[in-house]
Amino acid sequence: MERQNFHRELENLRLTLYKMAALTRQSFEKATQAYLDRDDDLAQVVIDGDREVNRIELEIDRQSLRLLALEQPMARDLRMIVGIMRISNDLERIADQSVNIAERTIFLCQHPPLEPVAAMGHLIDISKKMFNMAISSMREMDAKEAKKIPPLDDYADEYNMQVLKSLIEVMAASSPGFEKRVLKMRRSIQTIIISRCLERIADLSTNIGEHVAFIAEGVNIKHQQKL
Amino acid sequence: MASNVKFAVKKVDFYYGNFKALDQIDMEIAQRQATALIGPSGCGKSTFLRCLNRMNDLIPGTRVEGEILLDGQNIYDSDIDVVNLRRRVGMVFQKPNPFPKTIFENVAYGLRVNGFKNKAALRESVEKSLLKAALWDEVKDRLNNSALGLSGGQQQRLCIARALAVEPDVLLMDEPASALDPIATQKIEDLIHELKNNYTIVIVTHNMQQAARVSDITAFFYMGRVVETGETEALFTRPGLKQTEDYITGRFG
Ligand SMILES: Nc1ncnc2c1ncn2[C@@H]1O[C@H](COP(=O)(O)OP(=O)(O)O)[C@@H](O)[C@H]1O
Ligand SMILES: [Mg+2]
Repeated sequence: MERQNFHRELENLRLTLYKMAALTRQSFEKATQAYLDRDDDLAQVVIDGDREVNRIELEIDRQSLRLLALEQPMARDLRMIVGIMRISNDLERIADQSVNIAERTIFLCQHPPLEPVAAMGHLIDISKKMFNMAISSMREMDAKEAKKIPPLDDYADEYNMQVLKSLIEVMAASSPGFEKRVLKMRRSIQTIIISRCLERIADLSTNIGEHVAFIAEGVNIKHQQKL
Repeated sequence: MASNVKFAVKKVDFYYGNFKALDQIDMEIAQRQATALIGPSGCGKSTFLRCLNRMNDLIPGTRVEGEILLDGQNIYDSDIDVVNLRRRVGMVFQKPNPFPKTIFENVAYGLRVNGFKNKAALRESVEKSLLKAALWDEVKDRLNNSALGLSGGQQQRLCIARALAVEPDVLLMDEPASALDPIATQKIEDLIHELKNNYTIVIVTHNMQQAARVSDITAFFYMGRVVETGETEALFTRPGLKQTEDYITGRFG
């Protein structure tokens, strides 16, 4: 029994997911760009764009549940739908983290910059790299590519720790005037939150890689020994 | 594994005249589990099922090669009592086929054929079989009515009761629900779940969701061969072969 109509709908679901991934990528790119360029207009664009990502997530949920209920998919098709629901959930959280970065950025833009922290640049690079690998492995449903993502997560954790350490030092260093010290702490804490958001995005990209491996091969690579 | 094997099928070929309908079937069928046979129409599922109790012997011009061991004994050995074999390996067909007799007589039939005479024991055995087939409550007040007055779903459960009455080990079912409405189908599926605690069940179904629901093991047949056999859950979530995947996801057939 061929199921052409079902497979057409499944293809549409995939296309909706790609659209969500593209929007999430834009949010993430713009959020980091806004942080690096101290561009609060761009940060506002990220915040305003989040509604569309949320809308698409609901759309994916609706389409997926309908296909599960009406079509009783099997094997790869079943894994595809379950995997798409999981991936869209993680994309939505990545978009939320991007909004969080944008909100901190708007605060930081209102004050003079802190001295630059080298690890922050590395953290942005590695989290972007992991996210982009997640998205490209998803497009091709390429388990081999997807399995390269989890080992990178250790680097993201490490850079996040380094940012934290550096900023604790910044905060601990004495500076003249109570007001000034408070403001420096507030800027440092906001930056630490951004760092934490990036580290979460790296985690969520790892999750997406795991979902891709699940769809492609039916194996759960979650909670396996780190490579 | 060995003690858990009910049927060991070894290199079985089957011919209708010159036409080879089964080609080198190798398979083990586990005891007290439901094994589903799936595959496109004409791939040999029914032919294979009929090999398991030598029903094909009744079709002229057919020939079997290879071995089918039931509890370790080859059922195609010349000294096998085929009547006893068919008692041990009962069969239920696609269309319910009750005799134009009473409900009671339908179930008692096999017992009478096997020389059962004691009336009280006969009655007890009929009741037990109807209970096992989940039909007793619906018919206990009209055992002497004609079986032909039952609904299709009831008739099918009556046929299952008839098969169970002679105390088989194995039940072969060839699309047992395909002529039934959804509610009657549901009852048959529930019954299969119940029966597999005590019987080895082999079921042919063209309904893949049904195979997924009722069976523990699924075998995918294609053009007279077994392409893939596996635990049902694994086969329907991550089949090992692309051909199986393509079939169960509806990409061909
Ligand atoms: N009595 C028969 N005589 C000749 N060929 C048969 C007979 N029964 C089945 N066949 C052929 O054997 C093949 C397998 O049939 P069958 O076992 O009924 O397949 P399935 O049950 O999978 O639909 C088909 O090609 C069918 O045409
Ligand atoms: Mg058939």
